[in-house]
Amino acid sequence: MRLTSDVELLEGLPVAYIRSLDMLVVSDLHLGYEGAMANKGTFIPKVNLRHILETLGNALNMTKAKKIMITGDIKNTFSDVITDELNELFDLADFLKKHNVETALVKTKHDNFVERYSERMRLKVYKDQAELGNYLFFHGDTEPEIGDKTSMMIMGHEHPTIGITGNSGKRERLRCFLYGEFNRVPLLVMPAMGYFSSGVEVNAIPASELLSPMFKRTEIDSMRAIAVGYGSTVDFGKVAELRKV
Amino acid sequence: MLNYAEKPFDDSESLGVLNPYVREWFTKNFGKLTPPQKYAFKLICENKSLLVTAPTGSGKTLSAFLSIISRLFDYSLQGKLKDKVYCIYVSPLRALNNDIYKNLTRPLEEVYSLIMKEKGVDILKSNIRQVTIGVRTGDTSQQERHRQLVRPPNILVTTPESLAIMINSEKFVENLKSAEFVIIDEIHELANNKRGVHLALSVERLKEIIGHRMVMIGMGATLYPLDEAAKYLVGYSGEQLNDCTIVDASWSKKLDIKAMSPVKDMIYTKEEEIEDALYKEMDSIIKKGKTTLIFTNTRSGTERVVFNLKKRFGYGEGIAAHHGSLSRESRLEVEELLKKGALKCVVSSTSLELGMDIGAVDNVLQLGSPKSVTRAIQRIGRAGHSFESVAKGEMIVLNRDDLVECTIMLDAALKHHLDAFLTPKNALDVLAQHIVGMSLTKKWNTDEAYALVRNTYPYHTLSKDDFTALLNYLAGNYVGLESRRVYGKIWYDEKEGVFGRRGKLARVIYMLNLGTIPDEVAIDVHSGNKRIGSIEEEFLMQLKVGDVFTLGGKLYRFDHASGMNCYVTEAQTSAPTIPPWFSEQLPLSFELANNIGEFRKEFAGRLGAYIKNGKFRSPRTARIPKEIDDYLGTLPIDDNAKHAIFGYFLEQLLFCGAVPTNKQILVEATKDIESDTNYLIFHALYGRRVNDALARAFAIVLSDMLSTDIGMMVGDNGFVFSTEDEKLDMNDKLFDAVIAEIDATGIAQMLRRNIRRTEIMKRRFRQVAARSFMILRNYKGYKITVRRQQVNSQLLLKAAEEIDPNFPVIKETYREILNEVMDLPNAQRVLDELRNKEIKHKHITTPLPSPFSHSMITFGHADVVMMNERRTYLQKLHRMVMKKIRGADETDK
Repeated sequence: MRLTSDVELLEGLPVAYIRSLDMLVVSDLHLGYEGAMANKGTFIPKVNLRHILETLGNALNMTKAKKIMITGDIKNTFSDVITDELNELFDLADFLKKHNVETALVKTKHDNFVERYSERMRLKVYKDQAELGNYLFFHGDTEPEIGDKTSMMIMGHEHPTIGITGNSGKRERLRCFLYGEFNRVPLLVMPAMGYFSSGVEVNAIPASELLSPMFKRTEIDSMRAIAVGYGSTVDFGKVAELRKV
Repeated sequence: MLNYAEKPFDDSESLGVLNPYVREWFTKNFGKLTPPQKYAFKLICENKSLLVTAPTGSGKTLSAFLSIISRLFDYSLQGKLKDKVYCIYVSPLRALNNDIYKNLTRPLEEVYSLIMKEKGVDILKSNIRQVTIGVRTGDTSQQERHRQLVRPPNILVTTPESLAIMINSEKFVENLKSAEFVIIDEIHELANNKRGVHLALSVERLKEIIGHRMVMIGMGATLYPLDEAAKYLVGYSGEQLNDCTIVDASWSKKLDIKAMSPVKDMIYTKEEEIEDALYKEMDSIIKKGKTTLIFTNTRSGTERVVFNLKKRFGYGEGIAAHHGSLSRESRLEVEELLKKGALKCVVSSTSLELGMDIGAVDNVLQLGSPKSVTRAIQRIGRAGHSFESVAKGEMIVLNRDDLVECTIMLDAALKHHLDAFLTPKNALDVLAQHIVGMSLTKKWNTDEAYALVRNTYPYHTLSKDDFTALLNYLAGNYVGLESRRVYGKIWYDEKEGVFGRRGKLARVIYMLNLGTIPDEVAIDVHSGNKRIGSIEEEFLMQLKVGDVFTLGGKLYRFDHASGMNCYVTEAQTSAPTIPPWFSEQLPLSFELANNIGEFRKEFAGRLGAYIKNGKFRSPRTARIPKEIDDYLGTLPIDDNAKHAIFGYFLEQLLFCGAVPTNKQILVEATKDIESDTNYLIFHALYGRRVNDALARAFAIVLSDMLSTDIGMMVGDNGFVFSTEDEKLDMNDKLFDAVIAEIDATGIAQMLRRNIRRTEIMKRRFRQVAARSFMILRNYKGYKITVRRQQVNSQLLLKAAEEIDPNFPVIKETYREILNEVMDLPNAQRVLDELRNKEIKHKHITTPLPSPFSHSMITFGHADVVMMNERRTYLQKLHRMVMKKIRGADETDK
């Protein structure tokens, strides 16, 4: 789905593509999630990394992009790098190397200590925010500094989803992009890429319970929810409208 | 091999086998032997494994223990009694364990003092020691445990969970190696659930560890089928069933039981009048006896009855409540008072149904249907001081379906027809725990381990594939090599066919997480942004989207649930589809349901002879014809009840000319009298568990065929589909087409698909995952709350499905839901009989719901003490039915 003349949301994937930068944007991978859970006694089968590699493979095939931007939370644990994370980070790095892709990351508190491995991973690490072209990339846990020429802000952090009740009465939760404005600058919120990062239903909870401080100053109800799932990407319209169904 | 003990032994023969001091003590304290003792003393002395079934108060406990005590005093007199465990006694209740301990301490002391008196100082010289007894449960202090390790009791009284820990305790297990006897008490409360399955594996493992045979003794008051219980008790040696003698003394206690209605007319009598009559009846029964035990079916009912009895008749401290929501202390206090005979009346939900000696109760009153013959007998059997006295019980019933149900239930009790219990087979979660336990003790050859597991009755049919799949799962083979160190609970070499311990953590995991009882959870209920209260998880599991239930006096529609939260909106309808006590309500057993169906057939047949051209022809109109009266007179009911049953069947026959039976399902297309709702009512009397399966399968196929959404209510007497606009019609052809469609896919497959995304699946999966050690409640110092477990388990289910839809933990979840929540085997049986026309179906269209369906469609209100709206609605329905019946009568004239 085309968002602007320069930005495309890849069909059925939680991935955006910026033509002018030849860059894929993804967010919130939470590598090592299962390992972290296993350390606490819940032994989840490992599916996260596999899903991510599949998705990235598809996105690279579709676009032949040469760069990837990760808007935060590449891994799961704050305080350390645990073995499982390291293994998965290296697997991801090897995969990207094989595809000859340059990778950049906006660092967050989940991403502590990644610098240690950035060389091995060929990872360019930005602190707090990255400005490339007219685009401002940041995670979303704090407000960024907006430059004069910024034409679009892109963030992660929120793991937005929408809840839809189907005809059979079953409720489904779909990951979504959110697209609207912040201080009259276009704002794109990325869906989480992590398999287990199912997030919150933005059309079910009050705005005050959202994670990102960004939503304290912008009306989430006026943003559009663009859902991703079942192989397609569909604009569901404004969050305000979705609250009614 | 199983064999039934045919003839009791003479008292002299039975006593002759006992140690002289034990014999002296017994004859001094008891005049003669009770029926089970006449068999058990001698057989146990001969080292025969024994299943004893006998009613409460029949000296069952002593029948098992006395020969063992006798043997131990023999050892003692020979100076060879050691500080070892000779007998392990297991019961499901800690309270019962404490009781047994108290009750055995006295004979042990008294026998020993007889010996002391006679032997004097020889006691020391010949090293004649006292036979000891000790209790070990989760409540046992660290200090006591340590003492037992150093000086183990000769008779060890314990629970299934504590036994499982002991067999994995390297030091303590040494003390068990001399065990000669295992007693399993209240076997009916174990053999029918996963705790019992767990115990069966523990016992089998113990046999392997100690390397010699043990005498197995099982006891239960209400057991059927006995063969099944005996197989559970003794298990197999390879393909060969081990020997067991069955002693059936279950009917040595006489029953004096009756179902009754406090009022003549169950429909039009005013609610206050019914209540007055009900409590007056109760009061007069309580006043007549010394101690009366009242069973209600729910906790709230218990409180309400206590409140009313106190308020109306001024019973002060003489009356008490006893149920699961009360603290342990207050329950114990009530039990003590009861034993002392200090209470005039105790009201209980289910908690006093089994176990410990509760002293002299001379009357049992049951309010509403207990839903199973076994339970009815268990409860009524609490009355009567000893096995020789008559157990006196009354069932007070307030609606006509309950009345028929209770009548047939008591009739079955008098005829000795019990409900069958079923042992869960091949439960993978319980086995997973034991495989981890086994891996801790030694390195196992997988074939050898598989053979051991198959020696237990619950796993005798386990496939090798399932066993291997479990080993792979436990070895962590569902994740990459580098993670198995963390994921693996056992070490497994598939090529060599061996498994064993992995790491030091495995033991801690096993010890801290074993057991089969899921944690209880409260679910928060939200309406809009407000939290309005909480419900039990069991209750939530029963809810389907769109179900209406009451909470805090208001009606709510269930929208969705997420984790430990449930979201609802206020409902505009007047009736709930799920009653508030639903999760507490036990389903009607399949056997009893069939008995009721047979009665319906028989009685409707007799009554039908008096109906000509849609009119009732009786020598004297509106009176019960003599032949019918005589027939009803053979049932255990009072006069009011007789009239109520007669009226009920007559109305149904006059209204629509058809009474559904166990061999004829009646499908009634009709509509609601107050709204636009169309009903398709399946009068299928098979119990809720079977109907749950049948209703889902029918609804899936029908809503597909008619492409419409169908609402569904499931009860014991049938199930009801409803639609708002579209009229639902059913006929022979369509019915057969539905059956064919279900057969084509297979009902199991259909149900599996249907429950895949439901609440019950998610939540049962969590419980199974916890039992299978996939979610650890207690790990490396983390204690994971159920709330977190729930969140995790949803992710877990999704991820596990993705790697393998046949993952053992998922497979077990389906098995549990289909066989324990629902009753798939019997649902399949009904389908088979429908296909080969052993069960027929008949289709009728009625202008308003027929009398037999009234309680089904107002099912949400069907509590013992009825709600007002339901009565109003029922009366309105009934009035319309009667008008139609009379109207036909008049035009005929």
